[in-house]
Amino acid sequence: MTTALADPTEFRILLEEELGLHVDADDLDRPLDDFPDWDSVLLLRLVTVVESLAGRRIPVADLLQARTFRQLYEAVAGR
Amino acid sequence: MTQTGTPMESTVGPGAWHDPGALRTLRILHRSGKLAAEYRAVPDLLSRMPQADLPAAGQLLSRLDPTEVRRHAPDVPVVSVAVTGHSTVAPVVAPLTAELARHGLLLEPKVAPYGAYVQDLMRPSDEALPQLTLCLLDAYTVFDDVTVPWRAEDVEAAARAKLSLLAGAVRAHQEAGRGLLVLNTVPLLRRFTHQLVDLRSRARLGAVWREFNRGLLSLADQHPSVVTVDLDPPVGEGVPACEPRTAQYARARLSDPLLAAYAREAAHVVRARLGRTRKVLVLDLDGTLWGGVLGEAGPQGIELGAGLRGEAFQDFQRTVRQLGSQGVLLAVSSKNDDDLVREVLKGHPAMVLREDDFVRVNANWKAKHDNVRDIADRLGLGLDSFVFVDDSLFECGLVAERLPDVAVVPVDEEPALHPSALLADGWFDLFELTEADLERAGRYRTEALRQEFREDVGSYQDYLEGLGIEVILRPPDESELARVSQLTLRTNQFHLATERLQVPQVADWTAHPGRHVIAVRARDRFGDHGLIGALFLRREGELLRIDNFVLSCRVFSRGIESACVAAVLDFARSTGARAVTGRYLPSPRNSAFASFYADHGFAVLGGDGDDPDAVHFRHDLATVAPAPAHLRLDAAFGPFDAATDGHGDKR
Repeated sequence: MTTALADPTEFRILLEEELGLHVDADDLDRPLDDFPDWDSVLLLRLVTVVESLAGRRIPVADLLQARTFRQLYEAVAGR
Repeated sequence: MTQTGTPMESTVGPGAWHDPGALRTLRILHRSGKLAAEYRAVPDLLSRMPQADLPAAGQLLSRLDPTEVRRHAPDVPVVSVAVTGHSTVAPVVAPLTAELARHGLLLEPKVAPYGAYVQDLMRPSDEALPQLTLCLLDAYTVFDDVTVPWRAEDVEAAARAKLSLLAGAVRAHQEAGRGLLVLNTVPLLRRFTHQLVDLRSRARLGAVWREFNRGLLSLADQHPSVVTVDLDPPVGEGVPACEPRTAQYARARLSDPLLAAYAREAAHVVRARLGRTRKVLVLDLDGTLWGGVLGEAGPQGIELGAGLRGEAFQDFQRTVRQLGSQGVLLAVSSKNDDDLVREVLKGHPAMVLREDDFVRVNANWKAKHDNVRDIADRLGLGLDSFVFVDDSLFECGLVAERLPDVAVVPVDEEPALHPSALLADGWFDLFELTEADLERAGRYRTEALRQEFREDVGSYQDYLEGLGIEVILRPPDESELARVSQLTLRTNQFHLATERLQVPQVADWTAHPGRHVIAVRARDRFGDHGLIGALFLRREGELLRIDNFVLSCRVFSRGIESACVAAVLDFARSTGARAVTGRYLPSPRNSAFASFYADHGFAVLGGDGDDPDAVHFRHDLATVAPAPAHLRLDAAFGPFDAATDGHGDKR
């Protein structure tokens, strides 16, 4: 992974490659509760991965409060 | 070997040992849904993967459904692990998955709910017993019980109370027979020490903290099936202990890198538990044990002892010698002239390792994989007992490719890094060192003398007769229980039911009425083999059952195993049994002995409803073959049990 998370597609690739989680484009706005494979452990791993990739700190508390993958993307991409 | 040998046709080229493409391959397998089907290829991918990529690999592997992997690869050993602890413990699953996969094992984790560890440990035994329980502790195990304002004394009181609670929980866990338990010491965090502003109190807190950790370490002393992983060494080498944000927001109080280091140690515990401790360390010479090329520089010209790098090589030799002193068998495979190598081993003043420290020195110009195989044949050990160290990536690659069972440790041109490279993986970790470990190298050297003798005599029978073998069967005394346990833990080939027993389980067998553990000792004109086998016997009415029989591979093919059977049959008959049964449980490594009982006059009974995987055999005691005539048998099974007529028996 060398992307800079320019858009949600790159974020989906990152989820697949780093966390082994396949998320369709249509699923970005569905509640995270709909994904039984999603858990807080993956979220913590996401923090580590994105920070080492982007070289900057991301707001962990915001990430924990995200309800959809799009909100997660916005939090990690700093949007 | 630093010199470049003749180029050989091989897929292994020079360049880096680590393959940066390994993670990419793993990702492709995962994306295409083929990872479970290709699980057998995973250890190889991981062995060449840069360590920094292992966490990502662990994430992908931990998404796999173990049932799915088992469907595709039914022979991959599954390790069931219960994970519990003071804080959020689930993040250890991915790194542990990766570490076990490196060793060809499949993790089946069961993660406990948050913070339930004390109840978890004290709960009565469950039906599905995990092979291993990990109980992860962190600084908050103590500090959650401390309220502001606090002083070092308050932490001391909280730590004492927590330690005594933990000691009780651990005792309950062990007394319930719930198996191996792994604890860890707890790194003290600066965010706590520096809340005390006076330096005297801060020092006091440090001392209080070490006392807590000392208590955790001593739990391993009190319970043979408890292991305490010390997290001080990884933290001391720069692994961060805690990530404040994940600790705060998700109660994940041990950092990811520390969990990765912990998972590596836990995987070593699993390996030791499964009898996968490596036994032999095969070393290259030029560039590995000394600097320079012996063939070019001559014995006086190699880099050893004098000079900065010479001292570093000497230090590496000390590390190797230290391992050798604990039963790791040392051998040499070097592309060199034998006489030059012998000259250095005998006479170089700076050598720490001497000819006597090695059980084999193969200095020749043959391929290293052939030499490693030769050493394995001569020692009678499987290649999966071997670790191979070389500074040539070419040689490392070739050995890894030709002998995939051998663990390959590449070292590089910096000798100061050789010790940490060798020790990075705890290949030789085991539960308890026994006397047999300390004497092992001497025994294998005696074995070399036996082989020479064998090459001198005419026939194999002449050889056996000339050995003057004596076989002694006795119940083990207290001090021998550890060795019996170790035989069950480490022996893979002649291990007819492959039942791994910890010391308390062996003690339990000996204490149980109607059961016998019989230790097998042997010696001959060349020396004492020591305790080399064990029989687990169980009386059931008029039947005497051999539940398990384990014999060290050092003493195969000398009639010792036949003598043991003869002694058991004789014992059975003289104590009123009507028949003796034998039990063979197939494992990946014991197939050579599948017909052992049949070869000794037992009839095949086939399977058994309660024990469907095992094959049972029965000997009706009508005609009992005597022990082979070339050996002397001295058997005394001890006072026999109440199940028969209850009189003491000294055969």
